[in-house]
Amino acid sequence: MRVMGVGGGARENAIAWKIGLSDHKPEIFWIAENRNPGIHKICKDNQGELRIGRTTDPKTIVRSARGWGIDMVVVGPEEPGFQGIPDALEKEGIQCIGASQELSVIERSKADLRRLQWENNLPGKLLFRTFKNAREASDYIRKNIETQPWLQNIVIKPARQSGGKGVKLIEDRKIYLHDEKERFKEAYFDSLQASMSAYSDIEDKILVEEKAWGPEYSLQCFTDGKAVLGTPLVQDNKSAHESDSGPETGGMGSISGPDMTLPFITMEEYDKSLKIVEGIVEAIQKKTGKSYHGMVGGQMMLTENEGPTVIEMYSRLGDPEALNMLALLKTDIIDVFQAIVERRLSKLKLEFTNEDAVVVKVVAPNGYPEKRDKAKGHPVQVFDTNIKRNGCYLFWGSADLQEDGQVVTGGSRLLALMAMDHTLPPASARIEKTASSVQLTDGWGLYHRSDIGTEQLLAKRQNTAERVRRLYKHREEQGILGTRMDWVPKIGRVDPSQLLLQEMHGPGKA
Amino acid sequence: MPGLIGFYTFGEGRENWDASQIIHYGLSALQGRGQESISLATIGPGNTLHTLGGKGGVEEFFQKNKTSIPKGFIGIGQTSSYLDDYLVHVKTPYELVLALDGKTDLHEDRGEATKLFARQLSQLLHSEKEPLKATSMLINKIGGGYSFVALTHKQELVTGRNPLGVKPLETGSVGFDIGAVASETCALDVMGIDHTGPVETGEVIMFTPEDIRGNAPTTDRGNFCSYEYVYLARLDSNVNTLSVARVRNRVGRELAKAHPSKGDVVIGVPETALPIANGYSQESGIPQEPGFMRTGENVRAALKPTQKERLVGVQLKLNPVKSAFEDRDVVLVDDSVVRGNTLQNTVLNLKRDGARQVHVRIGSPALVSPCPYGVEIPPRDELISGNLDEKELANNVGADSISFMTVEELQHAIGLPRQNLCMRCFEKGGTTR
Ligand SMILES: Nc1ncnc2c1ncn2[C@@H]1O[C@H](COP(=O)(O)OP(=O)(O)O)[C@@H](O)[C@H]1O
Ligand SMILES: [Mg+2]
Repeated sequence: MRVMGVGGGARENAIAWKIGLSDHKPEIFWIAENRNPGIHKICKDNQGELRIGRTTDPKTIVRSARGWGIDMVVVGPEEPGFQGIPDALEKEGIQCIGASQELSVIERSKADLRRLQWENNLPGKLLFRTFKNAREASDYIRKNIETQPWLQNIVIKPARQSGGKGVKLIEDRKIYLHDEKERFKEAYFDSLQASMSAYSDIEDKILVEEKAWGPEYSLQCFTDGKAVLGTPLVQDNKSAHESDSGPETGGMGSISGPDMTLPFITMEEYDKSLKIVEGIVEAIQKKTGKSYHGMVGGQMMLTENEGPTVIEMYSRLGDPEALNMLALLKTDIIDVFQAIVERRLSKLKLEFTNEDAVVVKVVAPNGYPEKRDKAKGHPVQVFDTNIKRNGCYLFWGSADLQEDGQVVTGGSRLLALMAMDHTLPPASARIEKTASSVQLTDGWGLYHRSDIGTEQLLAKRQNTAERVRRLYKHREEQGILGTRMDWVPKIGRVDPSQLLLQEMHGPGKA
Repeated sequence: MPGLIGFYTFGEGRENWDASQIIHYGLSALQGRGQESISLATIGPGNTLHTLGGKGGVEEFFQKNKTSIPKGFIGIGQTSSYLDDYLVHVKTPYELVLALDGKTDLHEDRGEATKLFARQLSQLLHSEKEPLKATSMLINKIGGGYSFVALTHKQELVTGRNPLGVKPLETGSVGFDIGAVASETCALDVMGIDHTGPVETGEVIMFTPEDIRGNAPTTDRGNFCSYEYVYLARLDSNVNTLSVARVRNRVGRELAKAHPSKGDVVIGVPETALPIANGYSQESGIPQEPGFMRTGENVRAALKPTQKERLVGVQLKLNPVKSAFEDRDVVLVDDSVVRGNTLQNTVLNLKRDGARQVHVRIGSPALVSPCPYGVEIPPRDELISGNLDEKELANNVGADSISFMTVEELQHAIGLPRQNLCMRCFEKGGTTR
C-alpha cells in the first residue's frame, strides 16, 4: 500500500514516523515545501520519496498522488485543507484523511465557529461580535462598554485565519488605564483592517470575543463523520519564553499523560470537552451536508462562566500536540486511517498506553517568532547518539536538507525533542540533558523552554485550574453555568447572550 | 456633601488671629466628606468680606492659592464633594457669605435651594429687629435637612441646624478668645479647639463682637442621618454625642450575631469598613487580617462626582494582599453597596487570587432609595440592591453569599430610638420619620 503525506513540520514528521511503524508496511511518499530531514529519511527508508511542492496547490498534490499511485493521503497542516486539497483528491477517487474545505471553516473562520456554536446553542462558547472594519469595531465598543461589561475584557482576533496576524488579549478592568487600553485596542483594529482587506471573500474582518481566564488544553480527535474518538489531552505552551512570557508562537512544547487526561483536568471535564467537540462536528456536518473524516481538535480552556470552553477548533492535529498523542497511540495508525475512510471508526478499538507521560519541547532559532528572516538559513548540527542515549526523540520542523547534506534553519520552529517517562518532570529533565545536542554551527543561538513539564509549571497550572474550577462549579451549583447576567445601573438586568442572539438574527447581523 | 467650619474670635488682640490658617486644618480634617470644591471667607478690621473658592483637594487648594488666601480674624470654610459648590455670597440687602450642608426644600436643585435660603437670611438680617428669633423662625419654616454657617459684613457669624437635625454640626471653644463650629468633632480637635457639644436640633447661634446668643433649641429630638454612622463621618468624630468608632464596632458585632458566616478570616474593605470588620471579628472569633493596600492618596471613592472617578478611587484602594485570601474562606465586610461594580470587581479579584469562598457581609441595610438631603446616593435605578434580591446579587458579584443588616439591627447598633434616626435611603419609598 502507498501512503502519501502533505506538509513539512514536526507534526508531519511524527505522522510519517508513526506510519513507518505500521505493520502494514506501507510505502511512504510525501509532499512538503521544505526538505524536512526527518520525513526525507523515513520516505527513503520506506521505498518512497519526499518531493518539494506547493502543499496548498490542488494540482500539484493530485498530480503527484496519481503519478505515485497513492492509495491514501494524510494531510497534516490546516492550510491545504482550507485550499480544498482533500476535496480535489477525493474527486480523483483518492482516499484522504483531512477535513474538506467547507468543513475546515471551523478553524479557518473563528467568527463562523462562534456563530455555529450560538446558532446551535452548544456548550463551551464565548460572547463575541464581528465587524467589517476598525471604525465599526471601536464605535460598537465605545457605545456598548457600559451596558455590556464583557466588552471591557476582550480578545481581538482576525475573523478569519490570516497569515501572521495574532491575537490580542486586552483586560480593561483598571479604569485608570482605560485610555491607554483604548488607544492600543483601536490601533490594533486599524492594523487588522489593513491586513484583512486582502480577503474579499468574507465580510467580517475583525472578531472580538469575551476574554476568558483559565488553563488551556487540547483535545484531538479522530472522526469518520459518525464517531468522534478522543485521544489523550495535551497541553501546548504558546508563549515564546519561560513562565509563559513573551510573544505568541505556534507552540513551544507540550505535555500529556500519564493517562487520558492531564494532571490538572478531571475526567469529567474530559468527557464534557469531548461532547463539545462532537457537537461541533455534528453541527458543521449538518450545516454543510458534508461528511467529516479526518482529525478534529478543540483547543479548550477551563473558564469560570462555562467550565470547558472552546478557544478555537483545529481541523487537523496540533503541532506540536500531535507528537504527544502519536507517541501514546498503541493502535496501528494505518488501521485508524482505514477505519476512518471506511466509516467504521465506532468499531475500532483505539488504544493508548496509560503508563507514559510525554513531554515535547520545541527548539527554535533566536529571532523566531518576531524576526523570522534573521532566524533563517543557519546551519544545524545534531548529535544523534546523545539524544538516543537519553531516550529522547527528535522530530524536524522548519528545517531544510540541502543538496550537500547540510541542514539549515527555515526561520520557524526548527525541531521538537520528545521524551517519555512515568511522570512529566523526569521526562522534561531528560530533554534538558539533551537540548545541547542541537546546535547552530555559525554561532547563531537556539532557544527552548526549559520549564515545560517541570514540577513548578505543573503546580502553577494546577493552581489556576483549581481556582477556575471552584468558580465554575459554584455557578453550576447555582444553576447558572453557561449563562451570563449583568446588572447595569439605570438599565437593570442585561443578558448579553440574548443581546448577541438578537443581533445575530436581527438586521445588522453579528 | 459639604463639610463646614466656622471660626470666631473675641476680645483684645483678636486681630492677630489668621483665621484662614486655622480653617485650613479644619477643612483638612473634613476632607473625608468630599473635597472637590473648596471655599472660604474671612473678615477683618476693615469689615470687608474676602472670599476665595476653587477646585480641591484641600491641600492643593491652599498650596495653589498661598498668596491670595484671604486674611482676617473671623472666617468660615467649606469643603464639598460636589463640583463647583462654593460659598454663596449675597451682597444686598445685607451682605453675607453662607455655607450649607444638606438641602433646603426651596428648590429642586440643591445649589439653587441654598442660594434662595441665603437670600432669605440676608433679607431677614437686614429688616428684623430680633435677628436671632427671626432666623430661628426661618429654619422652622423652611423644610429639608440642613446645617449652615454664615458670615456677615458686620462681623457676625450665624450658624444653625434645622429642627430635623439630619446634618451634624458641633460647637467648640478655647478659653475666652475663640468660638467655633464644625460639621464634625474631628475638625475641632485638629484645629486645637475644645469640643463643647452639638448644635441642637432647631438651634441657632449668633456670634457677634458683643456676645454669643442662642435660641432655645426645639424640643424635638431630631431625625439624625444614620449614614453618617455607617459611612460619612470620620472614625474619630462624635456624631450627636455618640462615638462613631463605638457605633461601627457595634455594627460589626451586630452583623456577626445576626448574619453569621463560616470563614477562616475576616477582611474589611478599607477604610470605613475596617472597624466594622473588627467588630465582626471580635464577636465571631474569626481573626481579622488586613486584606488590601492603597496606592496613592486616600480618597473617598463613593463621594467622587463621576462614575469613572469613583471606580478609579476604589480600584486604586483595593489591591489585594494575596496571602490573606489564598485557599481560605473569607468573610468580606463592607459598609454599603451602591452600584455593585466595586464589589463585583473585588470579589472576582479575590477568587482569582485563590479565595475559596467569599461571604459578603454588609454593615448597613441595602441602599434602595436616594437621599432627599443631598448625600450622594444615586437614584433608585442605579442602586443594585434596589433591583436585585440577595441571591441574584450574590450571583451577580460572584460571591458565595451576601447579606445585609436590617434596619432594626442598624438602629440597635447605633443605639438611638427609631424615630430619631433617618433611614430613608434604606427604605423603599420610606418617609422622613
Ligand atoms: N477568548 C479568549 N480568552 C482568553 N484567552 C484567549 C481567548 N482566545 C484566545 N486566547 C489566547 O490566545 C491564544 C491564541 O488564540 P487562538 O484563538 O488559539 O488563535 P491562534 O490562531 O493564534 O492560535 C490562545 O491559545 C489563548 O491563550
Ligand atoms: Mg490556537
